[in-house]
Amino acid sequence: MDAAKPDLVVARGLVTTLGDRNVLDGVDLAIRAGEVFVVMGPSGCGKTTLLRHLAGLQPPTRGTVTVAGHDLHHASPDVLHQLRLRSGMSFQGGALLGSLTVLENVELPLRENTDLPRGVIRETARMKLDMVGLLAAADQMPVALSGGMKKRAAIARAIALDPDVVYFDEPSAGLDPITAAEVDNVITKLNQVFGITMVVVTHDLPSAATIADRIVVLLGGKVVALGSREQVWNDPDPRIRDFIERRLRAEESRGMDVVAHLEV
Amino acid sequence: MTHSTIHGPAALDRRSVGALVADIDRALRSGARRVQLDLGSTESFDSTGLGGVVAGLRAARAAGAELKLKGLSRPMLDFFSLLSVQRLVQPERAPQRLDPVRRLGAFVEPMVDGALAVLRTGVGALRELLLGPFRGAPLRLDRTAIEVDHCAAGALPIVMLIAFLLGLILAMQAWVQLRVWGAEIYVADMVGVSVFSEIGPLMTAIVLAARSGSRNAAQLGAMVVGEEIQALEQMGIRPLAFLVLPKVVACAFAAVALGIVFDAVAVAGGGLFAATVAGIEPMAFVEQLRVALDLDDFLVAQAKTATFGLAVGVVGCALGLRVSSGSEGVGRATTNSVVVGIFLIIVIDAVFVALQRLGG
Repeated sequence: MDAAKPDLVVARGLVTTLGDRNVLDGVDLAIRAGEVFVVMGPSGCGKTTLLRHLAGLQPPTRGTVTVAGHDLHHASPDVLHQLRLRSGMSFQGGALLGSLTVLENVELPLRENTDLPRGVIRETARMKLDMVGLLAAADQMPVALSGGMKKRAAIARAIALDPDVVYFDEPSAGLDPITAAEVDNVITKLNQVFGITMVVVTHDLPSAATIADRIVVLLGGKVVALGSREQVWNDPDPRIRDFIERRLRAEESRGMDVVAHLEV
Repeated sequence: MTHSTIHGPAALDRRSVGALVADIDRALRSGARRVQLDLGSTESFDSTGLGGVVAGLRAARAAGAELKLKGLSRPMLDFFSLLSVQRLVQPERAPQRLDPVRRLGAFVEPMVDGALAVLRTGVGALRELLLGPFRGAPLRLDRTAIEVDHCAAGALPIVMLIAFLLGLILAMQAWVQLRVWGAEIYVADMVGVSVFSEIGPLMTAIVLAARSGSRNAAQLGAMVVGEEIQALEQMGIRPLAFLVLPKVVACAFAAVALGIVFDAVAVAGGGLFAATVAGIEPMAFVEQLRVALDLDDFLVAQAKTATFGLAVGVVGCALGLRVSSGSEGVGRATTNSVVVGIFLIIVIDAVFVALQRLGG
């Protein structure tokens, strides 16, 4: 929350073109180390695309993403690998490997990227599962998990390597309010205790209100607001007021215009 | 000595945790009942370091000893506040070992299940075909046409290539044997009879199993995983009528159509060899072929080929619809659709030949 924190992830002039449409249309933002940074906006505004660029999974058409001073999309494979090891990602559907148990999923990044003794990997993975409240499900296969459990397992896997930054794609989408609050709670705790930078894409306003240090609002691929939670909440821009008050312009023109075609 | 003290490293992380775990193990093995782990001088840590500490706690518990932690820093306590160490060091339930009978059961059960699923799908598809028209839901010709395009038209180049080369090969092998007796003309019998009654139907069906049976299994399996099958059922659309029957009918049709093309191209290949290398008059070859081939045999071969196609179609769809667990399951269903498909082709072939040649 103090502005003195250094920037960890910086996006400059991101433009992404899909066909003849600009999904992102000149996005500039800087994410500070140790903050919970929430990307908000309605469906189709480019949130997930932005997250993929930030996480280095998909290069933008134009513009740069720098992480700790390295240009992510022009880094050498070695540098990119090192940057990846210092970041984690929780995908929307969990993206757990179906052929491995929950515990093996969380162990996987440790097993493939470190040469730690088996017992240490196992206990570390079990600790991460206990942090997200899933220790009892450690030996289950992913198919046996509910949606909320899959997301929590994915979070445990994302923090397996003690990353500096974790990216979340819609962590509370499709969850009931109580489970969503649990996931929010995990995000907040991990941020506070480990100081992990959290980048959270969501359209869930209550969730954003609970966890965010700073919020960026995207509309039509452009940044329309960027600031602290309070700043964004009190922003007078009508587009933001509409979004926050869950009012969609299109709703207003919808209605009984079939009347014009009725014969009386 | 029953007491022992271990001092944690200044940085308890990935690099040092192995040595710490080894220290704790050594202390426990030397018979210490009470080991103290002093982390007072540990300034930094990561979660694998604390994972090592928990591994130590578990090892001590298993050895009937006690590991006492001392000098935990504030951040470490914060870390442990996110989880329950008691829960973590609980002894785990040993995985159950199956007795031999159960293990045999676990091996056989999926096979029996799979066989029943194939049977159910086959009977279900047949019912849709026969009863559908009375329910106002006859075979979907539009969807069948799409499947035929893939199964038959798509397979044409590879089937023709295989047929031509096999025709050449068969003629060559036969010629080498027959010319010893001056009986080169019987190359036509050799190629004609073997291709029309066995090689044509078998090769066509095997290509079909590899191309289309596997495709059907993978496609339906992915649809199960994506809940698309359930969505269809929920909308009141029967997957058997909408998806399976068009595929099965297309497979049977494709088998016969491709089989006939195979026969023709293979005989042409054999004839080309006979005419060019073996020096047999083309007209003599055709005449010999006409004598050798029998219309009844040809019709039986077509019935056989159609049955192969049905089996390939039903097996692929049945195994695809049985998928229950993600990408792993889709892969297994795809493999099994080819393996079981080819196995069934051979079994059906044996039954047909036995009935035709032994039954009278």
